[in-house]
Amino acid sequence: MESRDETMMEKHRVHLRPITLRDAAPATLHLLPCEVLASRPAPVGRFFTPAIRQGPDGLEVSFRGRSLRGEEVAVPPGLVGYVMVTEEKLIGKQDFLGDSENNYQEEEREPVAAPEPLERDFDRFIGATATFSRFTLWGLETIPGPDAKVRGALTWPSLAAVIHAQVPED
Amino acid sequence: KNLYLFPEYLKDASKKMKHGLMFVKLVNPCSGEGAIYLFDMYLQQLFEVKVFKEKYHSWFINQSVQSGGALHFATPVDPLFLLLHYLMKAGKEGKFQPLDQVVVDDIFPNSILLLKLPELEKSLCHVTEEKVNPEITNKKYYKYSKEKTLKWLEKKVNQTMAALKTNNVNVSARVLSTAFFSSDQVASDKEEDYIRYAHGLISEYIPKELSDDLSKHLQLPELPASWPNPPSKKIKLSDEPVEAKEDYTKFNTKDLKTEKKNNKMTAAQKALAKVDKSGMKSIDTFFGAKIKKKTGKI
Repeated sequence: MESRDETMMEKHRVHLRPITLRDAAPATLHLLPCEVLASRPAPVGRFFTPAIRQGPDGLEVSFRGRSLRGEEVAVPPGLVGYVMVTEEKLIGKQDFLGDSENNYQEEEREPVAAPEPLERDFDRFIGATATFSRFTLWGLETIPGPDAKVRGALTWPSLAAVIHAQVPED
Repeated sequence: KNLYLFPEYLKDASKKMKHGLMFVKLVNPCSGEGAIYLFDMYLQQLFEVKVFKEKYHSWFINQSVQSGGALHFATPVDPLFLLLHYLMKAGKEGKFQPLDQVVVDDIFPNSILLLKLPELEKSLCHVTEEKVNPEITNKKYYKYSKEKTLKWLEKKVNQTMAALKTNNVNVSARVLSTAFFSSDQVASDKEEDYIRYAHGLISEYIPKELSDDLSKHLQLPELPASWPNPPSKKIKLSDEPVEAKEDYTKFNTKDLKTEKKNNKMTAAQKALAKVDKSGMKSIDTFFGAKIKKKTGKI
């Protein structure tokens, strides 16, 4: 093996497996107004979901003895949500090298660099395990409402599209 | 587990590809530091990745809990902004150079992927002078042009401004505070706020020096010191490499009331607000963490 040093962090690529984007099953998501320090499996369907009630002006649930108020938030049209998981182990290169790397370049261009495969053996892989088009947004004791920061965030892609659109020629 | 939002067409395109979709670290043309981008070799498109993260939030994802409450956004980015970083550097030598000599980066070697974007070479005319070597067919040489770049950026500002108006983005606290004055006053103030806000958004993608030049080019008046920070300034204050959080909070929030709101917290909200939960992960940890420390020869 070659030497691996700090610069590799800047050099390596994390390949997103395209197939996972089309096969992902829908996920149920809740955005909670509290910090949970752990990231691990949790019996959400046993203790949280069954306790959700439809109140007069929104959803209600009790979590850790506190009252939460919630509402559904849809992912804006034109966008799709994914739950992504980085693959733990580096996959042997035999699976991915050798078959037609660079095959998406439309034509030969100036030789800019020695031909190099897109996927190298020190690269990593990530894949979607689930997809989503909505989530439940919870506020502590009050409904998050239209001023919820995440709602502002969801307007970013449409603005970004304009910032990065090509400008007309003179 | 990380949550991402992608444009839907990326999913459609994925049906036609086996690979060629990858996250890489490239230069952030504003800060000069590394940032995560998503490269789609099939669509030949570059996406930037921004993270929205709010304190004291977590996700339930099916039957699991995920701390942090982060939401990642992958949105298309004009790769010319990144190229501009290299063109400006190379421009200091004052020579015409072929593109493959301009985009040279030892720190972010994945930047050579930029040269695989066919549209990019076509858009170079916006920011460079160009020369063709008659002896080597098709060999083109480029030199950074500040004048052309400022014109290009002005168009960017204008189209951004138009979108801000159409979407009714609240660009400033000033919009509300001037509502009591004459309508003329409101209209002109508003216009300036829009330009300033659009300038701030574009400035996220260019070096500070160029942002200042653009401000002069747009003839933006200096702000009186007494004025609260305009949104553009606030965006810039963000010190995180992926600064989504900061500018999102400025969108659609009702001017400065956000701070006051804290006074209206319920007892439980107050109690929770006291707990300090710093040290949230940035997207950088998503890169490199696993193999970072394997140094030396094997």
